[in-house]
Amino acid sequence: MGFKEALNSKKFLVTAEIGPIKGTEVQEIIEDAELIKERVDAINVTDLQSSVMRLGSMAVCHLLIELGIDPIFQLTCRDRNRLALQSDLLSAWVLGIRNVLALTGDHPTLGDHPQAMPVFDLDSVSLLKVISMLNEGFDMVGNQLKGAPDFLPGAVVNPGADTEAALEMQIIKMERKLEAGARFFQTQGIYDLDLFEKFMKRVESYKTPVLGGVILLKSAGMARFMNKNVAGVFVPESLIKEMEETKDKVKTSVGIAARLIKGMKYLCQGVHIMAIGWEKKIPMVLEEAGL
Amino acid sequence: MIVTKKREFNELMENIRNYKSVFLLGCSECAALCGTGGEPEVKEMKDVLESQGKEVTGTFVAKSGCQVLGTKLELKPFKDAIDKADCIIVMSCGAGTQTAVELYENKPVLPANDSLFLANMTRLKVFDERCSLCGKCILDKTGGICPVTRCAKGLINGPCGGSQGGLCEVSKDTPCVWQLIYARLGKLNQLHFLKESSQPKTKLVHPRKLIREDLKSKKEQIKGA
Repeated sequence: MGFKEALNSKKFLVTAEIGPIKGTEVQEIIEDAELIKERVDAINVTDLQSSVMRLGSMAVCHLLIELGIDPIFQLTCRDRNRLALQSDLLSAWVLGIRNVLALTGDHPTLGDHPQAMPVFDLDSVSLLKVISMLNEGFDMVGNQLKGAPDFLPGAVVNPGADTEAALEMQIIKMERKLEAGARFFQTQGIYDLDLFEKFMKRVESYKTPVLGGVILLKSAGMARFMNKNVAGVFVPESLIKEMEETKDKVKTSVGIAARLIKGMKYLCQGVHIMAIGWEKKIPMVLEEAGL
Repeated sequence: MIVTKKREFNELMENIRNYKSVFLLGCSECAALCGTGGEPEVKEMKDVLESQGKEVTGTFVAKSGCQVLGTKLELKPFKDAIDKADCIIVMSCGAGTQTAVELYENKPVLPANDSLFLANMTRLKVFDERCSLCGKCILDKTGGICPVTRCAKGLINGPCGGSQGGLCEVSKDTPCVWQLIYARLGKLNQLHFLKESSQPKTKLVHPRKLIREDLKSKKEQIKGA
């Protein structure tokens, strides 16, 4: 079953994420993907995550398709103008890619080539509109295509935006993304289920699947780092303490992720697991979460 | 105003190492406000260049260095001094420098300043970029606060998810402009503007030129009255 069918089937969805490496050694990515492919409905492939130059998302998506996995092609507006974005979307379709996650993208100054020209010709909302137009058989200026794609477009939302204004604008932007054609949402990592529940109540009327983000905690240090540096992620002190005091970091991390997933089963339509190097632990997490 | 910054003096000296004499041209508008090309700065430059063994054949601070015709008229009395100089150093913005280039086609013209951006002088000594001359104003929809200029990504459909504590993820001393827009639209009871989605920005094709046929010359204005 592909991701689109899974989405329509109303089952509790599970997606994971793979970040391409800097270089051409794809063996580990393939191993990780093979290991989790039976357990997930789709695998996202990130697009130069954190604005660090790496192997591209489209090529890795194509490799996943060869393994029988339905990938979600993450596409950012950071370093492509509207010509390149549309062309890459058509290229992705002919390579067998069916799902696209439209993102604005991190600013290049945060990555390893801070001198790079930031493009942002389009943004996540206008990129979603472009995908909808391509699906209808036209490019963004209305020229007819000879053969059109039929992408399933998705988008992201950050339920943990830390000020009232930021959260309100996340919700307004979510509405705009819906109008522009988003058919599913994946969120930033969530650690506070009460806050997430409040967010889900706000957006349940949109009747669009939301996959709650779960980032595997590798250590207390990583949790503190994210609290300080990653917008929208807040790991409560109690979880940091758990990670600090444990003798078996993997077991505790898997336990925390599984608890969060169990909680999310009652709040949203699926989970999106970001293992950040611990992809091999994903089956354990799902096992413990009863999925 | 166009905000400018003095270039390194060594760089300037390197650029004029083959010239014995210079004419200095400042500007009484933006460069004067920035302290890079008003009367005091031009005088200071003259003294320093002379102390370095250069001959300064003359100095002048134009009213508006970017106004080619006006500057041409103002510089008429300085013809001899300019003829005598091996080069002209312009202490204004890049536009002022190119006014001199247009007026003196056989004379090397060198910039003393780097031109940075269109700025609001928000306090004494503080220059903030508020407008990027993008050619399509959306201030009517954003509470008068420009996200094209003041959002690091120039986002026009609302913020990215990257702000922390109301600050931009790219530079932690800059407020997220979308939070400023939200606050102001809230005060004006105009939050509904946030729900309207914006057309993608139109990229500029340089160089731009505008001919205002509707603008009347002074003579025409007098005739009309």
